[in-house]
Amino acid sequence: MSIGTEDIIIEVKDVHYAYEEDGPHSLNGVSLRIKRGQKVAFMGANGCGKSTLFLCCNGIYRPDSGTILFNGKPVDYSKKGLLDLRSKVGIVFQDPDNQLFSASVYQEISFGPLNLGLPEDEVRKDIEQVIEYLEITPFCDRPAHALSGGQKKQVSIADILVMHPDVIILDEPAAALDAKHTKMVNQIVDRLADEGITILMATHDIDYALSWADEIVLMHEGKVLLQADPVTVCTNQEALEMTNQEEPAVLKLFDKLVKKGVLKENLRPPVSMGQLEQYIEHGV
Amino acid sequence: MIVVDKLCYRSKLRLVNAGEKFIFSVMTLLFCIISRSLLIAGIAFWVNGFLTVKKGGISFGRYIRLLAVPFTFLILSTLAIIVNFSKVPLDAYAVPVGTFFITGSKASLAFAIQLIATAMASVSCLYFLSLNTTMTDILDVLGKMHCPEMMIELMMLIYRFIFVLMETASAIMVSQKSRLGNKNLKTSVKSFGHMGAGLFIRALRRSNFLYDAMESRCYNGKIKVLSVQHPVKKKEAVGILLFELLLLGLTIWRKLV
Repeated sequence: MSIGTEDIIIEVKDVHYAYEEDGPHSLNGVSLRIKRGQKVAFMGANGCGKSTLFLCCNGIYRPDSGTILFNGKPVDYSKKGLLDLRSKVGIVFQDPDNQLFSASVYQEISFGPLNLGLPEDEVRKDIEQVIEYLEITPFCDRPAHALSGGQKKQVSIADILVMHPDVIILDEPAAALDAKHTKMVNQIVDRLADEGITILMATHDIDYALSWADEIVLMHEGKVLLQADPVTVCTNQEALEMTNQEEPAVLKLFDKLVKKGVLKENLRPPVSMGQLEQYIEHGV
Repeated sequence: MIVVDKLCYRSKLRLVNAGEKFIFSVMTLLFCIISRSLLIAGIAFWVNGFLTVKKGGISFGRYIRLLAVPFTFLILSTLAIIVNFSKVPLDAYAVPVGTFFITGSKASLAFAIQLIATAMASVSCLYFLSLNTTMTDILDVLGKMHCPEMMIELMMLIYRFIFVLMETASAIMVSQKSRLGNKNLKTSVKSFGHMGAGLFIRALRRSNFLYDAMESRCYNGKIKVLSVQHPVKKKEAVGILLFELLLLGLTIWRKLV
């Protein structure tokens, strides 16, 4: 595998997709490249095609036209090819109630690796590891219907993680979670990223995207409007407005402080409140 | 149903091997029905109650209240055997009403008591199983007994989604109530119909989502899962064996005498 800028794990080339024949296109010529090991935030108004694109990335939907390349090779839509792709690209769905099919947490997590054909004792070891790693132990013997939203989310991440994928796609993981569980899920995501897993995450939280992502993909009406580093995207007023996004609070504040002369103009825009505080603290 | 589900997750016997509990419950049930003996019914009823309340830790009041439900049905259905209207008084009792008697024979009284005892003992067997074993464990046992996979997969999905369905239904109901959806009979009926339609559509959509999610995890038409293992304990197995042998002995003795 080549290194540096050439190491593209997923490449999407001019993909079109419509849910119904002759219906409106959900994806309207999406093209993008995802580098291996990166944290990429997908943003855009509701219904802009993020979820559809994700389902194209692991072969659930087959594009009407255009190609998707995984590790440089076009996706093979044969049964074996799809299983292979799906074992490497995992999706954590937005609503855990649509993903968890068993009332037992243990059974639930065992489903994926068993489908990969791994031997039972290896699967059991993996499940125990992932249960510990994601701190599921305190509630692993409770039925799915007795779990809180955050706990269900943890289980749905475990579902995917236990399959050891190269790419994990999270569709709005923080949706309907309280602050504590959002933080917890974010920490989990950070740890996964540290282990070199490529992470694609749909989110509406631009402050979080700015501080977390290596790259932001801004989608608009089934197309990629902008794919760039977070600061570039977050300072592009026009693009933000078009996609129903607000400029991150920290950048707004930074702007004001620069205009007031409190901070120097040549500073790099901060990506988090912590960084801005540091700027102010050190009086630069 | 939800009460039972909650209780079984709290039971202290929950982590006992489900196969043991299943065999105990079904064998005892069989002996109750085959022997039709008051003695065996009494023993089974007492042992099941003891295990569920003392060992399982389910409160006595709860257990009695749960038993009261089938008991009421039993009493109502055996009334027909105990109570007769006749011109001739029978041997057990007779209450004259005009030219008739409300009356019953000793044989039918004995039969009714035996019937109630057997039925209650059988119910206690099933209560022991369902109050101390989770649904997933029961399905696991059925799987090991080579029940058709299709049936077990369906039961597994139904068990999971019945709760989702109920949650959705109650959410819809609350939202209807908060908009005066049941201010009189007519609107109530209408709202109920809408809820049914809404639930049906949502269930369809959910099943599509679920299928996508399962496909994403390499689903290939068979739901293969592993369960947490609770090994068989020798002491428990021997205890069950001895108890069932005792019941077998009693059954044979009762049938021969």
